[in-house]
Amino acid sequence: MNCEVCKELLSAFLDNELDESQAGLVREHLAVCSECAVVCEDLSAILFTCTAEAADDLNPSSAKAMWCRISNTIESEIKPPQAELPQPAKGRFWSLSLPQLASAVLGIAIISSLLTVVGIRNYMQPSGDDFTTRSAATMSTFEKVLAKVGLIETPQQSRERRLQEQRSAIAYWNDRVQARRMQWDRVTRDAFDRNLKVIDESVEQYTHILQQDPDDELSVEMLDAVMSDKMNLLRDFADL
Amino acid sequence: MCFGPAGAAKTTILLLMSVVFFFALAGPASAQKRFSKTYPAGQNVRLQLMNRSGTVTVEGWNRSDINITATLEAPAANIVPQNLSGTIVVNLVKDNQGRPEVGNVNFTIRVPYYAQVDIETRIGNLNVSSVRSGLVRAKISSEGDITLTNIGAAAVSAENLTGDIFFDGEIQDGGNYRFSSMKGSINLRIPANSNFRFVATAPSTRSISMGDFAGGDLNYLSDGRRVAGRFGSGAATLSVTNQQGGIRFIRR
Repeated sequence: MNCEVCKELLSAFLDNELDESQAGLVREHLAVCSECAVVCEDLSAILFTCTAEAADDLNPSSAKAMWCRISNTIESEIKPPQAELPQPAKGRFWSLSLPQLASAVLGIAIISSLLTVVGIRNYMQPSGDDFTTRSAATMSTFEKVLAKVGLIETPQQSRERRLQEQRSAIAYWNDRVQARRMQWDRVTRDAFDRNLKVIDESVEQYTHILQQDPDDELSVEMLDAVMSDKMNLLRDFADL
Repeated sequence: MCFGPAGAAKTTILLLMSVVFFFALAGPASAQKRFSKTYPAGQNVRLQLMNRSGTVTVEGWNRSDINITATLEAPAANIVPQNLSGTIVVNLVKDNQGRPEVGNVNFTIRVPYYAQVDIETRIGNLNVSSVRSGLVRAKISSEGDITLTNIGAAAVSAENLTGDIFFDGEIQDGGNYRFSSMKGSINLRIPANSNFRFVATAPSTRSISMGDFAGGDLNYLSDGRRVAGRFGSGAATLSVTNQQGGIRFIRR
């Protein structure tokens, strides 16, 4: 007996309407076919529910009509056994086609490669300060790609951020100096002003050069250095 | 010799002028105070000094003591040296914080030649001589000259904004040497057989004179604003930056 015949006979089997030979064949099949056995159990459960508790609620016009509906429903669900849809494996809640799987694997490989390379590069060249003093011209193609997709800062962005941090620190220390400088003697005030002017000359010089040539790495580096010098001068004199 | 009335008047005038000159000269001298203290020094002794203004002179000597003497101009600064586990700490910025006016303090400090020296001032000159230790650091926050002579240290740092820097000493293998100024001249007098890698940068003047070291492995970078090179095995690292002045290497 095959599954199709068995399922057609299940309803009658459960109602004890089959002759002994057919019922025996169904039993033999159910013993070896787990799929039909599951269907049989489901039908039995429905039958039990209907007869024991929900008979009144369901209120079928007749038992025959009810079984007819159940049978039709089961058949409509089980009808295409030939299609042999892949049964989902136990605990598997997703399914992918081969191209999807290949794409996923490729995507994971690319992302992990990128992360590995970025990690190695950061390990090899960990200093953010170095990047602030580099120009876009010295970026590798890989870095340009990463910068394009926003994974890393461009030297320009890095420099702007660094300058902004330095300006903030300078503003902070300048406030402190302004609050104290009236207490200094004239010699100290004059020395401070002279040296601040010297630093500001250099800041102006490098800013001007960088406006002309934003890729001048040496001026980027020197501007960074003189901004640090300015911050140090303000900090040192804020203590007086 | 005869002394008439005119001679007596002259003598009186001379005597009066002498008295006036005496008090005029004695006036400033009496405004100065002196400070002197001696500390025993161990093998790992370190001098850490931060001055506000004035000249600091540190000399290495062949004794196991640190002797600090200072002249204090009016209004005299407070000096409270501390001996912290072998480090002699003198911090005039901290000791005089909040005081509106503090006079110059000129230090002369003698340290064991093997002492580490870390000195700093806001304004004034710094001189260090005859020190052969692990560290010599001199920093001027604003203006003043730095003179380091007869130095044999593995780590040397000299930094000012306005003023000259002069270094006369050895370059030790594996050592680290850093000289930085904003405006002034930097002169380095080192032995011809030194082994070091260096980067010298003078962006404004492009004045980098290699002197007798010109024959080494040199690279002129960024339109001559920077020179990088290597001498001998390149075992030490030397970095020189002068934003608005020149750099000169001199053979010792």
